[in-house]
Amino acid sequence: MTILGGIGFSAPWLLLGLIALPILWLILRAVPPAPIRQRFPGVALLLGLTDDESVSDRTPWWLLLLRMFAVAAIIIGLAGPVLNPHDQQADGSGRLLIVLDGSWAGATRWQQQSQVIDAQLTRAARANRTVGFLTLTRPEEPAFQSANVWRTRLAGLQPAPWQPSDADVIRAIEITKALDGFDTLWFSDGLEYPSRNDMLDALQNQGSVDVYQTGANVLAMVPASYKDGAITLTVKRAVAGPTSEVTLNAQGRDPAGNARILATVPAQFDDGATQATAALSLPAELRARITRFDIAGQRSAGATTLVDDGLRRREVALIAGRENREGLELLSPLHYIERALAPTADIIDGSLAEVLPANPDVIVLADIATLSEAEQAPLQQWIEAGGMLVRFAGPRIAASDISRDTEDPLMPVRLRAGGRSVGGAMSWGEPKSLDSFRETSPFFGLDIPDDVVVSAQVVAQPDPTLADRVIASLSDGTPLVTRKALGQGQVVLFHVTATAEWSTLPLSGVFVQMMERLAISSSAASVEAQDLQGTTWTPLRIMDGFGQLEDAGNLPGVDGADLASAAAGPDLRPGIYASGDRRIARNVVTDDTALTPTTWPADVPVHGLYVAPEMPLAGWLLSLSLLLLLADVVASLALSGRLLKRSNIAAILLVPLMQIPAPADAQSADDFALNATAEMTLAYVITGSPSIDTLSEAGLRGLSDTLFFRTSVEPANPIGVNLETDELAFFPMLYWPITPDQPRPSGDAYAKLNAYLRSGGLILFDTRDADISGYGGASANGRKLQDLAAPLDIPPLEPLPSDHVLTRTFYLLQDFPGRYTGRDIWVEASPPDAEQVEGMPFRNLNDGVTPVVIGGNDWAAAWAVSSNGAPMVPVGRGFGGERQRELAYRFGVNLVMHVLTGNYKSDQVHVPALLDRLGQ
Amino acid sequence: MITPATLRANAEDQAARFPDLLARAEHLAGAVLLGSHGRRRAGGGDDFWQYRPAQAGDSRRRIDHRRSARGDQEFVREHEWQIAQSVMLWIDQGASMRFSSDPNLPQKADRARLLGLAVAILLQRGGERVGLTGTALPPRSGRPQLLRLAELLSQDSADDYAPPEHRAMIPHARAVFISDFMGDLDGITLALTKAADRGVRGVLCHLLDPSEEAFPFSGRTIFESVGGTLRHETLKANDLKSRYLERLAERKSELQRLCAVTGWHYGLHHTNTSAQSALLWLYSALDTRVGAAA
Repeated sequence: MTILGGIGFSAPWLLLGLIALPILWLILRAVPPAPIRQRFPGVALLLGLTDDESVSDRTPWWLLLLRMFAVAAIIIGLAGPVLNPHDQQADGSGRLLIVLDGSWAGATRWQQQSQVIDAQLTRAARANRTVGFLTLTRPEEPAFQSANVWRTRLAGLQPAPWQPSDADVIRAIEITKALDGFDTLWFSDGLEYPSRNDMLDALQNQGSVDVYQTGANVLAMVPASYKDGAITLTVKRAVAGPTSEVTLNAQGRDPAGNARILATVPAQFDDGATQATAALSLPAELRARITRFDIAGQRSAGATTLVDDGLRRREVALIAGRENREGLELLSPLHYIERALAPTADIIDGSLAEVLPANPDVIVLADIATLSEAEQAPLQQWIEAGGMLVRFAGPRIAASDISRDTEDPLMPVRLRAGGRSVGGAMSWGEPKSLDSFRETSPFFGLDIPDDVVVSAQVVAQPDPTLADRVIASLSDGTPLVTRKALGQGQVVLFHVTATAEWSTLPLSGVFVQMMERLAISSSAASVEAQDLQGTTWTPLRIMDGFGQLEDAGNLPGVDGADLASAAAGPDLRPGIYASGDRRIARNVVTDDTALTPTTWPADVPVHGLYVAPEMPLAGWLLSLSLLLLLADVVASLALSGRLLKRSNIAAILLVPLMQIPAPADAQSADDFALNATAEMTLAYVITGSPSIDTLSEAGLRGLSDTLFFRTSVEPANPIGVNLETDELAFFPMLYWPITPDQPRPSGDAYAKLNAYLRSGGLILFDTRDADISGYGGASANGRKLQDLAAPLDIPPLEPLPSDHVLTRTFYLLQDFPGRYTGRDIWVEASPPDAEQVEGMPFRNLNDGVTPVVIGGNDWAAAWAVSSNGAPMVPVGRGFGGERQRELAYRFGVNLVMHVLTGNYKSDQVHVPALLDRLGQ
Repeated sequence: MITPATLRANAEDQAARFPDLLARAEHLAGAVLLGSHGRRRAGGGDDFWQYRPAQAGDSRRRIDHRRSARGDQEFVREHEWQIAQSVMLWIDQGASMRFSSDPNLPQKADRARLLGLAVAILLQRGGERVGLTGTALPPRSGRPQLLRLAELLSQDSADDYAPPEHRAMIPHARAVFISDFMGDLDGITLALTKAADRGVRGVLCHLLDPSEEAFPFSGRTIFESVGGTLRHETLKANDLKSRYLERLAERKSELQRLCAVTGWHYGLHHTNTSAQSALLWLYSALDTRVGAAA
């Protein structure tokens, strides 16, 4: 690639074509524009007039210039110009190793970094260098491959949510030493980490090292803490620069469940300070909804801190049995528990009925034995929905019969009567101390002070389930704390009082810890290693390097002590961890994480993360030349006086003219619906045979005329219906003549027909064969009818009985002739329990309109009239024939009446009953 | 193309808008019987012209005794000479007339035929005899003559520029020439002088398309006559404009001069102006000449 004035050309020799431009100028200038032929009678007057040579018409200079530009743009465009070309000589040779820090600190500018890497890979590809990748946060043997292969995989590179550890770097150094001979591009995230200098040395031994590092500062956020009603947020920066301000976002879900920023607070770095603090005071409701804090404009795991139970103050309702007891404060049954919970939980007072609608997290019942029916049911419902009921024993429970014979749903165990007292003045034996907590217990790992002794308790009945429900016991094995699950919630019973009357437990610090472990309270301060000693935490959701949460999958659990103190790494990913009901957020940056900026030796070139992308200009130039040529067309037309000629205008306008397809289908469908519904309309099925369709149309027209003259039904002109495309719902009945060769409707059409029949439509099938074969079986039309009607949802049929309502809807009929006088027509079978009505000549038949009428009498032919009203088809002979036609019309009238009025005429069966009721 | 029937219908339509023209013709009928113009001289007719003293040679029967009885002198009563006028039309049928510069404008030939036939209808209503110059259709009166006129007027001529027909001119008749007069001027001069020799007076209607007056051309252009016999190529049409207009003005003044010499009327009409105004001018020019040409 040749570079001329900052623009590279892939085919620079083509530029020699520019020399031809002046020659082109002279040629174009000498050639006059093409003539127009003009008819003009006045030409006789023009004969003999000669052109003045000095003013002979030439292409004007500006048009020439336009064309010159167009041609020049084509030549330069074809020469392949490239803006910001990369210097090919500097691409180097040999193997290339790209070293990435790959930590969270680079996540914010990962996109930028990827672009630079891509640009470097492009250069390497041009120089045919093989490239290997070494990520320090996940050191692996680099595979040297073609740069183009790596370019396709570049999107797969993701930052890790931790810093390279000492072990990682040492492993990377080992890997580096095993290789030989390569140049290095080191993409640093800007944070110092142990052994980085050793790594640099190792790389420099192999070849040249170039460092790419962003000039922006690295920001990180320390986990939020809650103190004195405000959330304290601390931000750190790597380089102590001048005064600057960052915005901190509190992210969470709004009441509708959508993730959004709930609050923002600015934090200001003082001049020269590396740490800034902001306090955020929020209402408890809002605070409880916060899921994470992050720094605006930053997109890294370090700039994000997840929020666990620490910020969430649990609501605890404390309810004691002996209310309004005047007495000493220290003897209040709730005193100790209140003191234990007050720093870390919001305490609700009130009666159970008042408290339940507030939906607290925990309800503590201190020595309450019986609950009223009205309290018990909603309380149980609340527990099953996830609530936690903590009960303390006491004299009342000991004295009551609760959970004595059968287990009370709100008690974890059955209780023996009376409880027991040990170590008192009136009893043998010493007060019992606590047994160490078993591994299955939520209290496992807590230290038990020696001074915790129990002198009285309620005693659980031995039950098969008892052993599973004990989570703490005395040294003699009697249960001290029992627990059972109820729905999604649980019931916990302390077998001692919440006061110091029965034991010293409430006086000891382990009581508070037990509350924490039960998630009754939540730890206010950051988790301490010893608090978590012996617990195992499973990751729920983990954070990637960008600070986005993702599902933890089946990552192994983490020891509690590690969770609190170990640095984040592949084995301890930042995220939300759970143990039982407790949630702990493990963040990347902790209070004692120091952000140290990297310093590079002077001999290592450090580049910024900026790349000017190569920009091919050929397309732009060729487009420009096209535009110029278009302008030339217009200008030439204008010059020769042809621009505004009518035909040319048409041609110019034709170019952008787009054919807008008219919504013809929708329009015709609308027209069809309007036609069909403006008035009552009879319809026939179009069979595709023109003669049959014409006859159907004429027949229904004749029937419509008859109806118009004789009845109050005044139909409009009949309409032919295409079963495939037309909507059927507009028509009360369809006349369907059967021809042997008509096409079988599609599945959609059958679905439409079935919907039509179910919604009260009627189809008159006419085999037009005089039913000569009986039962329509053997004739071609009959077989076709069976074929066509098979997918239809048709009820059982019977030959029209003599008392069917069709025989009397308008005329009294017993024969239903059309052009033929066939024997039977078939309608829906009457129900088997139809009975002859007393005093009436007909049975009490079904109440619905028959969905189909099937016959073969070719009614349409009998009804058909031409446009002037004369019958189209002869029927019978002489007067008898005319009588038959008249009966055919009467059948048609009866049929339409039947369709339109239903079984109205059948209701005459009720006339005697109605008359009887009227007292006539 | 205009068929004879539509041409006549159009012409009737044009003529129907001129009841007032006929009314003015009736004003003239104070002296002229309908169907014939008074010649403003004594002759055979029905209207009184003058009494003059009887001269030797006058028949005794011609002496008007009622006038003569008032005095001693004998007077003879003279009547005005009354005959119907013959008007001959020449409508240019050449190819150059079949031109219009804009689809919205009529062709010159259409306009010329329309005007010619409308004049013929008016004259026919006035009882004059109308015909074509030459021998194809001598002047006759009556409505059937209009049909024959329309028939002959809608026949195109193949020539680019047709010279005026000057043969078989009826002496002392009237003539109407409608043309663009773009052809050779000699033919026109010959026709006019010959007509003047025979005492034929008339009207010369110079019919032009607006583009022939404006010459709205530019750039390299090849001009062709409508028949295709003449062509002229120019590199810079707009440069020719002034010289063309000069020549056109020259031709107009030459025609006017000829008319002045031969006692004809010269009128200029453009196809983008109303046909009625041209018709009005034509008819009035014919009318006024009636009085003056005696």
